[in-house]
Amino acid sequence: MNVTTSNRLRLSEQLEEEPKLIHRSRQGHWAAYLMLTLASVVAALPFIWMVFGSFKSGREIRQVPPTFFPEEFTLENYQTILNDKDLPLGLFYRNSAIIAFANVVTVLFTSSLVGYIFAKFEFKSKKILFWFILATMMLPFQVRMIPGYLILAKLGLINNLWGLIIPSAVDAFGIFLFRQFALSVPNELLDAARVDGASEFRIYRSIVLPELGPALATFGMLSFMFSWNAYLWPLIILTEQNVRTLPIILTWYSNQHGSQPHLTMAASVLVIAPVLLVFMLTQRWIVKGITLTGIK
Amino acid sequence: MTSSKRLFRFPRRETRDSAKHTFLGLTVPPLVLYMGFWTLFPMVWGFLLAFFDYSARRTGSTFLGLGEDNPFVALQNFGEMLNFAEDAPLIVRQFHISVKTTLLFAFLILPLNLLITLPLAALIESVHERVKGVFRTFFFLPVLAPSVGVAIMWGYLYHPQRGLLNAIIGAVAGKLTAINWTGDQSLVLMGIPVALIAVIVAYLWQDLGYNLVIFIAALQSIPESLREAARIDGASDWQVFWHVTLPLLRPTILLAAMLTMISSFQVFDIIQVLTNGGPNEQTRVMTIDIYNNAFRFQNMGWASAVSVVLFLLVLVISLVQNRLLKTEWEY
Repeated sequence: MNVTTSNRLRLSEQLEEEPKLIHRSRQGHWAAYLMLTLASVVAALPFIWMVFGSFKSGREIRQVPPTFFPEEFTLENYQTILNDKDLPLGLFYRNSAIIAFANVVTVLFTSSLVGYIFAKFEFKSKKILFWFILATMMLPFQVRMIPGYLILAKLGLINNLWGLIIPSAVDAFGIFLFRQFALSVPNELLDAARVDGASEFRIYRSIVLPELGPALATFGMLSFMFSWNAYLWPLIILTEQNVRTLPIILTWYSNQHGSQPHLTMAASVLVIAPVLLVFMLTQRWIVKGITLTGIK
Repeated sequence: MTSSKRLFRFPRRETRDSAKHTFLGLTVPPLVLYMGFWTLFPMVWGFLLAFFDYSARRTGSTFLGLGEDNPFVALQNFGEMLNFAEDAPLIVRQFHISVKTTLLFAFLILPLNLLITLPLAALIESVHERVKGVFRTFFFLPVLAPSVGVAIMWGYLYHPQRGLLNAIIGAVAGKLTAINWTGDQSLVLMGIPVALIAVIVAYLWQDLGYNLVIFIAALQSIPESLREAARIDGASDWQVFWHVTLPLLRPTILLAAMLTMISSFQVFDIIQVLTNGGPNEQTRVMTIDIYNNAFRFQNMGWASAVSVVLFLLVLVISLVQNRLLKTEWEY
């Protein structure tokens, strides 16, 4: 996750109001439709080219000039990849899923808990701590990258999925974001629970967490996407084949099969398509997360 | 009756305070330790490394492996960076190239991005509610794809023999074309290497949807009544956009611009996969320089110094952003 500045939250302030849905129905804007359709076609071309390529035979893909539609439609490339002993896709899906799932759960837990504490409690050194959290958001990841690697190497966590889970369990931006959301949890609600004798952990679990529900869904989806698509950090930490995640394995496969683009294209489709479909179905939350937080 | 019962059960102030105290005691110190170890410690270490000639291959002293075989060199790394002589060591020249390329990349991405996303957002906002969502999803989709996949995809568009781009140009020109978009260093357009332009186009394609959804949301948050008022006063659609919508979007545009710029300073994935910095270093950006020096050549002291420079660049952009964002706005 690439978070660099605290000013993003200003964006959320600006956009928090619900969109006004009053619109004049305008029929005559055929020019707008035409332009948008044309732009869509251009934007879709890279996807289409890859999907078509994945259905072409090895002979057809080498044709110069290339064909656009597959002349002899074949599923052979997909069979080759799914039967490739060197490419146990199931294992890589599993690795990616474990890491993404663990990242989301830990980040949501720590961000909501700590964000809530920063919003609703007073304690010594709170100011300094919060300032520090803001400061880490400003710092590019590259500054921490090398020592991060050295620490994991010392701990023997290179080529270990834990190496991608443990250091990412606390996220400065998540804390900052959840603090903003927790500020709006009514104090009366918390005090009422205290009067009723609820323990502080119980209040966090039964009152604060449900109140933060929409934020959890939004930020959770975003974190999942960032974790699933991450490249640089896994590239450094995971150098052995059996622990690699999907993005790393895709570039590895592409490098191995440089002269067989039909295979690489099919592999890319197998890696990109399923999760893209999931992201598409949940994009409402992702879009909301981006417009609300400006996270990138 | 009930109220007195309630009052009776009301925990005494000290009990409540001590419960809060326990809660904080159980949560804050572990957090401080955790963030201290995984965030603050690597940060400080990263800055320290920039002042050493450090390689993970050499043992060094017991303190973080710094010193002894990994000697302290003070500001020498940074001093070397200012060596602009023709015969400067390769690593220094590569650094200069990477700073130049990063700046070129970021300052080209920004205007191109805004020139496409702003009109596109306004266009999408102008169509019927039902199709609006379809178009938005469509242009947003690349944001959700792994950038590695995007790079591979574009690699096949740019392929000299089998690429779609050459096929289209060939069909239009009526003869075979085999332009090596990402690999021919002699191709230069208005002083900008074509390989860099190719990388920029792929990056833009993936990144557009991001600003697009931000601008669409901002457009929707502008009260229709303001635009309506302008129309009643006889303003054309274009005038409404230019004199009403755009000024109201100003803070959002500034913020989106800075975020776009900061993240393009840190571009890595697409370039590493598409060109890996080539041809002849024409697409070598700072992150590639850092990665290669640190993890291919084990030159971690130098790589850390480069990352400190990257940090300073990002810092400057953030400060400029703060300055520009200070302008008040309301409607």
